Amino acid sequence: MNDSELLTAVREQRNKIPMTVPVAQVISRGRAVRARRRIAGLAAALAAAAGVAVAVTALLPATGPATRPAAGPAAGRPAVRAPARLAAWTVVKQPGGTVSVTIHELYYPAGLQRTLRAAGVPASVTFYASRRYPSWCRAYPASRAMLSKVFLPHPGAATTVIVIRPSALPAGAGVYLNDTSNPYGYVGLSAGLVRASMRCTGS
Amino acid sequence: MGTQRPDFAEFYRAAKDECLFTVLISVGDRDAAQELVAEAFARAWASWRTVGEHPAPRAWVVRTALNVNISWWRRRRREVPVPDPGLVADGSAADGGAGGSVDPPIMAALMRLPLRQRQVVALRLFLDLDTDHTAAMLGIAPGTVQAHLGRAIAALRHALMPERQQESR
Repeated sequence: MNDSELLTAVREQRNKIPMTVPVAQVISRGRAVRARRRIAGLAAALAAAAGVAVAVTALLPATGPATRPAAGPAAGRPAVRAPARLAAWTVVKQPGGTVSVTIHELYYPAGLQRTLRAAGVPASVTFYASRRYPSWCRAYPASRAMLSKVFLPHPGAATTVIVIRPSALPAGAGVYLNDTSNPYGYVGLSAGLVRASMRCTGS
Repeated sequence: MGTQRPDFAEFYRAAKDECLFTVLISVGDRDAAQELVAEAFARAWASWRTVGEHPAPRAWVVRTALNVNISWWRRRRREVPVPDPGLVADGSAADGGAGGSVDPPIMAALMRLPLRQRQVVALRLFLDLDTDHTAAMLGIAPGTVQAHLGRAIAALRHALMPERQQESR
């Protein structure tokens, strides 16, 4: 077997596991997705009409790149957004000094890292990396109690949200965010502490 | 690219198996991969006017399926232990289970690749994306894609053609 035959053999595997979900079931689920989007869009429009969107500069979210070409309000402006134009992630500095990160897509980690640092969180962010954090970062020994002070629970979150309290970070510690995967399932997010340094966390 | 949007059902029939296999290579579990891909196709249907004109709609589906995984994080598992990838290769989770007729040694070799190499192999070999599209989808440089692919092929060669490795020494 030469390289060409090897690649052919590998390629041939892709059609050997059939997807058994019927198209009708997919379309039925698609209708539910579409209906949910319409309801969400209507709710957002009503909220905007009622003047609920409060323009407080300090609370404006910094957003990641749109997942599709956006034609409309600029990112970060309090305006009605069609659900199809959700940003990959959003960072919001909250009144109590906490910083919330909402993840819709694992995309543009460098931008998220830069935004977190600008929000006062020394951070290292990597997505789809083979390591939990870059090789130039070092683990910070953190107890579960310490982690629970830095990363606050966010009950009832409708999406992937992590709330960080920078003031609870121990001296010399920063935050890392990355995706996790395991061979049995799913890619998710993980958060932990690393030793703060210019190269690793920006400060 | 195409000037006419394809029919969704036709697209689903033509793309579903490749998308399933590509996601399976990343997540390692057939049932989970099937759920994710079905959800991604459902979202594609809901936005078919846009997705149907996407230059690489299969890649859109795969990327959406992988992003859907994030919701699992809601279960507050901030740290998920990562077992030895070799374990899954020897188990039944990745081999397609009943009804699958994949080549077990090839699947085992694929699942032993590091995640990033698996992703590159899946996009380049199974979805037939070019280097630039693969790089854009993974958010890495084209040269890095080529490096990962080269290492992956070397690892596959080592795993599946050991006799040739020895000959070349």
